[in-house]
Amino acid sequence: MWKSIVYKEWLKIRWFLIGFTILGIVGIGYLFLKVQHGFTFQGGTSFWYNILFMGLQFFGFFKYFPLLGGLIIGVAQYFPETINKRIKLTFHLPLKENNVLLIMHAIGVVCLVLSYMLLLGVFITLSTIYFPSQMVFDSVVSVTPWFLAGLVAYFFVALIVLEPVWMYRLLYAMVAGFFVNIYVKSPVIAAYGPAIPGLFVLTILMSVVLLFSAYRFRKGEM
Amino acid sequence: MEKFSRIILVLGAILVLAITLPMLYWMAFEKPIKKPFVLYSCIDKDFFILRAGTPITFEDNKGNKYTREKYEQKLPMWYFQQLMVSGLMPDTINGKAIDMHDIGRNKSFERFKPEDMNCPKPKFFPMFESQSGRASLELPNDYFRITWRVEFIDAGTNKILEEKSQLFSAALYHKDFAFPATKIEGLPTTRKSCDEGYLIVDSSNELFHVKMIKGKPFVKKIDLPDGLKFKHIICVDFKDKKYYAYLFSEKNEIYILTQDEYELIKFPVTEFNAENCDLKIYGDLFNYNVTVEAEGHTDVIILDKEYKKVDSYHESWPLLSERTEDKIFGYLFPGELSMEDPNSKYINFYWKGSGNLGWIILNLLLLAVHFLILRRREAKLKGHAVDLALVAVTGIYGFLAVNLFQNKFFD
Repeated sequence: MWKSIVYKEWLKIRWFLIGFTILGIVGIGYLFLKVQHGFTFQGGTSFWYNILFMGLQFFGFFKYFPLLGGLIIGVAQYFPETINKRIKLTFHLPLKENNVLLIMHAIGVVCLVLSYMLLLGVFITLSTIYFPSQMVFDSVVSVTPWFLAGLVAYFFVALIVLEPVWMYRLLYAMVAGFFVNIYVKSPVIAAYGPAIPGLFVLTILMSVVLLFSAYRFRKGEM
Repeated sequence: MEKFSRIILVLGAILVLAITLPMLYWMAFEKPIKKPFVLYSCIDKDFFILRAGTPITFEDNKGNKYTREKYEQKLPMWYFQQLMVSGLMPDTINGKAIDMHDIGRNKSFERFKPEDMNCPKPKFFPMFESQSGRASLELPNDYFRITWRVEFIDAGTNKILEEKSQLFSAALYHKDFAFPATKIEGLPTTRKSCDEGYLIVDSSNELFHVKMIKGKPFVKKIDLPDGLKFKHIICVDFKDKKYYAYLFSEKNEIYILTQDEYELIKFPVTEFNAENCDLKIYGDLFNYNVTVEAEGHTDVIILDKEYKKVDSYHESWPLLSERTEDKIFGYLFPGELSMEDPNSKYINFYWKGSGNLGWIILNLLLLAVHFLILRRREAKLKGHAVDLALVAVTGIYGFLAVNLFQNKFFD
């Protein structure tokens, strides 16, 4: 039965996940095409100089992309469950309701994290062609909160979509918006360094929030 | 498990509210502080103060008011261009004939903010050729870093230049440089009059001057008094070429490092703290005007050209915690959380408690209100102990959060 649940979740999100990942790789490709163009026309010296001393974040184009991925996968996975309250069928399975939900959630998280890791891997690999390890590290410190923002967005989408009352959906969306904003400030390169451990903890904690609205959904809150 | 997920949500909402509500409060009620602009007159040997407002006022240290024109005439070193245009520039000051070139050559200005120190620093720097024989400086094709050795990396190919790296590593090694560098400060720009390389602090807190002369490394180890450690260095490029840099010690002393002699001279300034004070140092033909600006006061210390203290000025204004808006804030919120700090460029979780304990009253009031809500719902108090504790501790943040994510389902 678990395999069937995994397969069901995969069927819901696979094309969105594959599409997002391909779009992400194309986006990173475009980003490094711009880097290559900068190296060709400005020269590597000037390009490095702009990053080191002028605040250029050559990866800035990518800022909201992981967030978009979290939103897409979250909606793709949970919105179909709310049509005609289909998720009630899942709750009727001879399994503990929370366990089913957590398995569904884990599948989404694993898929999203794998996609993010692939994108981050491509980003790091291409970065090392043009920049030394310390500059690549600083770039990774800068983009890490953006990927965490994507995961948090995914968790909040699950919470909001499964919430049965519209007014609460709006209130949750407001909290989600302000919460995600913590991850996407616009500081100088590597400024997020001291905050990253705390952001990791927050992100992990937020992974269970859907259980609250799912509970309200099960109990028939109107 | 649902209860746990709800508590996480409530804590998340408290975090968001602790950031957002104070931010909105300060956007609505914060009033700007108009700090005085204080300069020292080389003519009257006294301080002159410009106060922003409507209208702008100009006064001396004794409170006498001046017109703008009279005020500018008292400060010929600061307003010499305007006085030249007006034809009011004196020919002599203090018996000294005034030459415009002298004024220009002796004029210097440097500004420091704590966030200049508390920020991620670049890890690669361009090593300029200090004696290229060219009229202007040129950006080299490579950048250096100092880890377990000096490494020059070609920016075009991202490859280490082995020969140059070994040359500079050896030069530093022979001067007892303890790798890696903990601080590299310089002026990594071509927009300067000449290149003086970098001041570098090694792992043993020793200070070195490193530059490149005709492709060869120049390394000078600078003698430091025992125990002197620097936490920030600002390299300068002033026309008078008297010193290389301002250096701030761990004890917040301000030093300058004289050019060529490498003598460290301490400014007689005790009011400065690099962690939370802005610093402005304005030099002219007669004096150095050292302005220290903290949250609730400003100190202006005047030094002569031998860096001896001549005069000082102090003015304070109510601290934020003494102002009405902060007192009201203290009755509403137990504190505020921010991801940003005015004294740092790092993003982090910065918590600042309220200046007074008035918030305890509101917390208790909200606790009572929440208690009544629960009573009205005939809820079992035992199941709401965490909520009540959160309201008691976090006040308005907790009250809003527990009512946004209600736990009435668990009754």
